[in-house]
Amino acid sequence: MGSSLQLTPTAAPPQDRREPPVIRFEEVRLSFERQALLDGVSFQVRKGATKVLLGEASSGKTTLLKLALGLVRPDSGRIWVCGAEVSCLPESELFELRRHIGIVFQESALFDSLSVRENVAFRLLEEQRYDDAEIERRVRTALSFVELEEAIDKMPADLSGGMKRRVSIARALISEPEVMLYDSPTGGLDPITSTTIMELIVKLRDVNRVTALLVTHRLQDAYFLATHAWNAGANQAQPAPEAARFTSFLLLRQGRVIFDGAGSDLLASPDEYVHTYLS
Amino acid sequence: MDALPVSGWIKDQLQALQDFVLLLAQAFSNIFRRPFYYDDVLLQMDTIGFGSLPIVILTGFFTGAVMALQLSSTLAQYGQIERTGELVSISLVRELGPVLSSLMVAGRNASGMASELGSMLVTEQLDAMRALGTDPLKKLVTPRLLATMIMNFFLTIVADLCGIFGGYVYSALAIGLDSRQFWSSAFYALDFHDLVQGLTKPVIFGIIVALVGCYYGLKARGGTQGVGRATTQSVVAASLLVIMSDFVISRAVITFLGK
Ligand SMILES: Nc1ncnc2c1ncn2[C@@H]1O[C@H](COP(=O)(O)OP(=O)(O)OP(=O)(O)O)[C@@H](O)[C@H]1O
Ligand SMILES: [Mg+2]
Repeated sequence: MGSSLQLTPTAAPPQDRREPPVIRFEEVRLSFERQALLDGVSFQVRKGATKVLLGEASSGKTTLLKLALGLVRPDSGRIWVCGAEVSCLPESELFELRRHIGIVFQESALFDSLSVRENVAFRLLEEQRYDDAEIERRVRTALSFVELEEAIDKMPADLSGGMKRRVSIARALISEPEVMLYDSPTGGLDPITSTTIMELIVKLRDVNRVTALLVTHRLQDAYFLATHAWNAGANQAQPAPEAARFTSFLLLRQGRVIFDGAGSDLLASPDEYVHTYLS
Repeated sequence: MDALPVSGWIKDQLQALQDFVLLLAQAFSNIFRRPFYYDDVLLQMDTIGFGSLPIVILTGFFTGAVMALQLSSTLAQYGQIERTGELVSISLVRELGPVLSSLMVAGRNASGMASELGSMLVTEQLDAMRALGTDPLKKLVTPRLLATMIMNFFLTIVADLCGIFGGYVYSALAIGLDSRQFWSSAFYALDFHDLVQGLTKPVIFGIIVALVGCYYGLKARGGTQGVGRATTQSVVAASLLVIMSDFVISRAVITFLGK
């Protein structure tokens, strides 16, 4: 089955030390109202790899994604994304950098005064670089990627939770970002929709070589990522051992990273908390 | 020192003032920075301006009528009832037109802005906007500021005219004043200073109303309940600030223009 696996031929394995990491956190600390939320978090993600962020509720996973985008500033520590130091760029320059980063929010965060079409096109409309026909074409492509082309004229209030999530993925994808941040993309969804979304994420990773951080509470999603790769011939994600190389795991607890590494190591970890978390 | 509730309160107020001034500075500096959101300005002008038109017309008309009613009975005691038009128009143009239309716009639109921006904030739509590379201050606050400034100016003129008309209707029907006399005394009473004052105020009040509305929306905390609270507070604060700054401006006009 390895022969039909269609990874981009230039895809260097994420272990390649010569390539600088696309996302890098160094000793990041952040407190809210004098309570430490992140207490010295360091990790990095290489080009084309996906890091799965695990942790209990309110362990700071969403905040970590917002830090990567510069939506929240750390109290100390440094953060680099796509070669720029997010933690010290002024907001005006961050707007430029954010064009290379897509984010899917936990609650979708669609603009409820705008239609699905305008939501998905938002970034392109703001950039004013394309004509209407080109924008329409791209919106339709992005929506068909998440299999929601028929919802193009609807308002967000008329969509179900899973549809909103998929529209928000389309909105993040429209500018073909190099980095994607997914915040619980399958949270509260039925197994079938969840699988559709996870397949999309695998497809982006393997076809577009998108670097990603993925927050999830569902371990089966994490394992899906680590065990499946996109098969262009079959047009679906299929089991492939190579996928593990592009997937790593990070477990947060009380503001600290208590595990950072491959899925097999996570399973084999002697740490008691890791055991409790996984079971 | 830190434990004193008063010092904490003062600190919070100073912080709020600083945030407000910062918002003011950013919203204004964005006017001159690209991209410029024409469509959003027009949309806001439509909601603020045309949406507020009926209430401004009605408030203006009845205020003018009640002024004529009250003033004419007092003026009658001095035998100067024919000056009713003059007094109605001066008090409307200098004070009541700008203040009343601003209060109406505060009630309708400061609350609308606070609740709209507040709910966008608590549902992470503002974060999403920033994540998509757009500055919410530029896209949301500056258009509301511009639209309120411009529309409050015109709404005030409408309120002034409707008020004088209301005064005229009452004077003509109830007191039987001669209509030509009413209108000429109403217009000749106004001089340049009255117009400057009467037309500067709505622009300044518009700034206050829009920024207070946006400020409370952007500060909303604690889910939908917090948005509701922010909405109420924005109307109270905007109305108070309009009335207090009205006094300051009127006083300044007398000091600097001598009238
Ligand atoms: N802007 C903020 N102000 C104050 N506290 C905040 C802020 N943002 C987050 N927090 C707090 O930080 C903690 C972590 O929040 P975060 O959303 O990052 O958790 P999470 O790991 O994503 O949780 P979940 O799995 O439930 O989504 C929460 O207790 C939250 O109350
Ligand atoms: Mg979260």
